[in-house]
Amino acid sequence: MSNASAPQSEQELLNARLEQANQQLLQSEKLAAIGQLAAGVAHEINNPVGYVYSNLQTLDNYLNDLFRLTEAVDNARCIEDLRQIKQNIDYDFLKDDLRDLLAESREGIERVKTIIAAMKDFSHIEEEEFKPADLHRGIETTLNVVNNELKYKAEVVREFGDLPEVECIISQINQVIMNLLVNAAHAIETFGRITIRTRQKGSTVVVEVQDTGRGISPEHRHRIFEPFFTTKPVGKGTGLGLSLSFNIIEKHQGTLDVESAPGEGTCFRITLPIVHPDTDNE
Amino acid sequence: MIKIQLVDDERNILSALRRLLKPEGWEVHTYDNVEEALGSLKDHEYAVIISDFRMPTADGVTYLQFAKQRQPDAVRLVLSAYGDRESMIKAINQAEVHRYLSKPWEDHEVISAIRSAIDLYQLKKENQRLRRENERQKDMIRAREEELLRLETENPGITRVQRDTDGSVLLSDDD
Ligand SMILES: Nc1ncnc2c1ncn2[C@@H]1O[C@H](COP(=O)(O)OP(=O)(O)O)[C@@H](O)[C@H]1O
Ligand SMILES: [Mg+2]
Repeated sequence: MSNASAPQSEQELLNARLEQANQQLLQSEKLAAIGQLAAGVAHEINNPVGYVYSNLQTLDNYLNDLFRLTEAVDNARCIEDLRQIKQNIDYDFLKDDLRDLLAESREGIERVKTIIAAMKDFSHIEEEEFKPADLHRGIETTLNVVNNELKYKAEVVREFGDLPEVECIISQINQVIMNLLVNAAHAIETFGRITIRTRQKGSTVVVEVQDTGRGISPEHRHRIFEPFFTTKPVGKGTGLGLSLSFNIIEKHQGTLDVESAPGEGTCFRITLPIVHPDTDNE
Repeated sequence: MIKIQLVDDERNILSALRRLLKPEGWEVHTYDNVEEALGSLKDHEYAVIISDFRMPTADGVTYLQFAKQRQPDAVRLVLSAYGDRESMIKAINQAEVHRYLSKPWEDHEVISAIRSAIDLYQLKKENQRLRRENERQKDMIRAREEELLRLETENPGITRVQRDTDGSVLLSDDD
């Protein structure tokens, strides 16, 4: 009995260490990914902030013009004076443009809000619990975070099926999808298409990320899930994205497969059980 | 009329800039894609071209390099949210941009950058006009000299007629 339990606990110890190492790796890949994204996110935010900020300065000028008119109500000698001021400040243009200015500025603030919300959703690293989650929402969140990486490289097509909520750690699934999307964008030379497809298949759900990029050559095909395998220049690739994605999906008792035709494109397929088998047992 | 071209894939940026430039009285043309912006270089002569850096089909520097070939006199500015050194250096060296402005911007900074660009453009134009004028006058002098030479060979001495202080030709009976 004691003979059997000794190696058992040692193995448990090793397992625990492995798990810890994996967590650290996950964390560092996440930080690297966030670092890469930071510049992109700054760009995404600076654009809307740029025009909202400028619009506010214009608004200040418009208001001064309008006040000139309203204050003249008390001082003007006759209605003709008021008409003159109204004409001088180009009132008709101002009235139309004010509405546009406000609508566009609101749109800008909405965009900043969405990006910030997505970043928040995205950085819930501490969340380790398997919980029913809406994968489509997760995909949208992820798209918002990586939009800047994608929009100059590809048109993103959503082919979403009906999905039930899936028991998963959504922040980790988001990270897998982000890795697949960024890889897809990197694989596209000039401009292409990235299709995100979802469907339910029996007791599982399938999420596919397909690109029209350069594809994976047969000699690389069996190595892409290895930690640190990368074909990208230093600074662009860590070689950790797919290996960690693979681990995450494995932990979810799902599978991560790939099909690729060099020169035509690549499709990564995530399959996840709708009910996580471990929680099933509880 | 001073014409200004704005290129940015974000329409709301274009409208904000339009608002900003409206009181200045310049003719402002906006394009949300590089292809159309490039096409318009055939139809309009711009004093200033302002381009975003990151755009879907071509980056701003590439666009400005094209623009420089088509309209070397137009002064080029970059307005970018992509504030890294690399893109800035590239812009300055490859497309010879006059100013690199970053988003978000201060309205008065953009206005003064454009004003100084217009000054530069007008100086270039004035310079060219003066050079042409100079060339033209040199040509006229040369033509006149040639004419004198021709007259002289046909009628030796004719270009050396003597005049009195009032400018009247003095004839002598020597010949
Ligand atoms: N969609 C794809 N198309 C082509 N090659 C890919 C794709 N996704 C991954 N790869 C290949 O797999 C390698 C490993 O990917 P990954 O583990 O994410 O690391 P990284 O992206 O940092 O290189 C990449 O360097 C690339 O060669
Ligand atoms: Mg990757």
